[in-house]
Amino acid sequence: MAESKSTRELTMSRAMVSAIAHEMREDSEVFYMGEDVADYGGIFDSTQGLREEFGYDRVMDVPISETAYLGAAVGAAQVGMRPIAELMFVDFFGVAMDQIYNQMAKNTYMSGGNVSVPMVLTAAVGGTYNDAAQHSQTLYGTFAHVPGLKVVVPSTAYDAKGLMHNAIRDDDPVLYMFHKRLMGIGWMPAPEGPKTPVPETEYTIPFGSADVKRAGDDVTIVTLGLHVHRALEAAETLADEGMSAEVIDLRSLVPLDTDTIVESVEKTGSLVVVDEDYRSFGVTGEIVATVADESLGALESVERVAVPDVPIPYSRPLEDEVIPSTKDIVSAVQRTQ
Amino acid sequence: MSEHTDRVAVTVSEWPGDVESEEGVVVNWFVGEGSDVEESESLCEIQIEKVSLDVYAPASGVLSEIVREEDAEFERGDTLAWITPTEAEPEQ
Amino acid sequence: MPLVSEQTMEEMFENMVTARHYEERLQEEYLEGKQPAFDISAGPIPGELHLAAGHEAAAAGVVQHLRDDDVVTATHRPHHVAIAKGVDLERMTAEIFGRETGLGKGKGGHMHLFDPDVNFACSGIIAEGCPPAVGAGLAAKKRNTDSVAVSFLGEGAIDQGAFLESLNFAAVFDLPVVFVIEDNDWAISMPKERVTDVENGSKRADGFEMPGVRVDCDDAIEIAEVAGEAIGRARDRNGPTLMEVQVHRRMGHFMGDPETYRPEADQEAAADRDSIERLEADLRDAGVTDDRIEEIRTAAHDRVEEAIEWAKEQPQPEADAAHEDVFVNPMNGVTDSEPDFEAIGGDD
Repeated sequence: MAESKSTRELTMSRAMVSAIAHEMREDSEVFYMGEDVADYGGIFDSTQGLREEFGYDRVMDVPISETAYLGAAVGAAQVGMRPIAELMFVDFFGVAMDQIYNQMAKNTYMSGGNVSVPMVLTAAVGGTYNDAAQHSQTLYGTFAHVPGLKVVVPSTAYDAKGLMHNAIRDDDPVLYMFHKRLMGIGWMPAPEGPKTPVPETEYTIPFGSADVKRAGDDVTIVTLGLHVHRALEAAETLADEGMSAEVIDLRSLVPLDTDTIVESVEKTGSLVVVDEDYRSFGVTGEIVATVADESLGALESVERVAVPDVPIPYSRPLEDEVIPSTKDIVSAVQRTQ
Repeated sequence: MSEHTDRVAVTVSEWPGDVESEEGVVVNWFVGEGSDVEESESLCEIQIEKVSLDVYAPASGVLSEIVREEDAEFERGDTLAWITPTEAEPEQ
Repeated sequence: MPLVSEQTMEEMFENMVTARHYEERLQEEYLEGKQPAFDISAGPIPGELHLAAGHEAAAAGVVQHLRDDDVVTATHRPHHVAIAKGVDLERMTAEIFGRETGLGKGKGGHMHLFDPDVNFACSGIIAEGCPPAVGAGLAAKKRNTDSVAVSFLGEGAIDQGAFLESLNFAAVFDLPVVFVIEDNDWAISMPKERVTDVENGSKRADGFEMPGVRVDCDDAIEIAEVAGEAIGRARDRNGPTLMEVQVHRRMGHFMGDPETYRPEADQEAAADRDSIERLEADLRDAGVTDDRIEEIRTAAHDRVEEAIEWAKEQPQPEADAAHEDVFVNPMNGVTDSEPDFEAIGGDD
């Protein structure tokens, strides 16, 4: 196949895969394992073409044994390999929570920094296609909550590639959460936005560097993942009404780019946090609290837009009710003004 | 068909054997109109029933026209786009 | 067939043709609005759909030994088991269409069907139905009733911790539980020989001092005989059994599955081995007339059509309903009888 050009646009899945393939070519210690990642190429296209290039040894289909293979990734990482392990749906974390929460996240600290866990855990997240309570969660807050995991959430192809390069090279465990709706899969059409030009060359995007996806003066919308695109759409609508919204894409939750958020709120005075995770004890509360800690006086008004504290329901009108829509974001912004 | 005999049609050269449908949908374009493309470079991704596949450039040149945009449906044999080759083939 | 009566054969046949027709009709309904390109979130049935065509004999053969008070847990591919267990077909269908009158008021969907009237439940997470079935067995033992629990799982689930831990738990406490592995050879795209070294799932029983049996073909009568023994053992307080049944996946893992990984010959073989045709032949051998067979078939088809028609007429849920049913009791619990008692501190 011919080399791609800089004018080329990639889907988020292809950008992710291009970074993984690059790292696998450069470093024989990098390998990928998960369910249906070899012949299938990942249910959400996360590994398309990798088995063809690298073979079954480095792109491993594993038994449906999340505890074993996520734990095995931790173990292989601790002896110096650089595994990438995939949870087909982030919702399946429960099956292997000990390996994630008590091993992957804590071994570095418990060893006084003498052991490192240079692995990436990839996981498909998110709803909007009626897959109900056990297959639609994002769980951003659950993973950002435990100390010891770096948590990355790309929203565009460009970000997906740079964040993946950084994730694989990082000597710490990184959870890389990709939203199914953004991957550019034929059977789950993506919104406008995630498909972007992507440089052919390798590059790393540092964690903890939020990206101002749209600059504005009246209100700061902080969000991540799919909702970056819903927030941008909302900002368009708001612009028609004469309101200028700044949209900040966090890109990583751990580390959190507090400076970019605070700087924006000090400019706009209004903060709207939009999250596809549950409302309580999660991302929205954390962002608001962080801004309050840093710059309480700058906060004139605050709104949180998140999934109310209910499991994600199946039926279309019910799911639409709980997952924040563009309209919900517009209304929240209007309430701040 | 076309008066642009110097242009090369981009079509689905190999229709997958295990689908019944004679229709497909363009899912993703990876290059825009006016872009330089190289022969055998992936131009777009299409879907026929549940099967996704890439459509490759039949020649090097400029992607001069996209006929079927993203989400557009097409039938087997339809032209999805036109490439104007770098060195246009000499006319008869 | 001394162990399986003609009446039982007819009942199993009825279950199986109902389940097959149900899956075929759901497939049609599901694909409506998903043409020409497959869009998982479009059409009258959104989300994932895992159909069980080719699995019917396992459910019919096992479940026909069960009573309403026996507990069944099924998997992400649950419809055939639900039908055999006597789950309300209309309300189950309404649930799959996401309607207000569905079993879960449209909140659960096709992988999460609950019908407490017949003690049926299922889960979308692999092997996660096993521990609750063990719990039902534990309850039966503690309450000294003779009810049993049956947990269905796929052959892909035999590598999962929840399954292995459940086997041990059921064995050590002699619980009335039967584990039924539906072996359709494929865990989505992964053939079983690539993910386990045991020749078949019933061998897993060996490590837990539990009987392990396998039925090598999806012959409903043989399944019924083997299951009868296992369920009888459980009911008689003689402990759990692990049972495996060879079935066939006649459709994709889920309806969006292009199955490009699957050899065509394997797909054709699955289509050729039809447990329904086999049982139909057995019925004829037993002297059941063509008219009677046709009568069963027609009744089953009518029942499915009526359920689908009814479901499609049901209202969509009101959006506000999304906020209800997280708990059954008030958020602050059930008590209003806190005494006027100060354990520590306080000014009043």
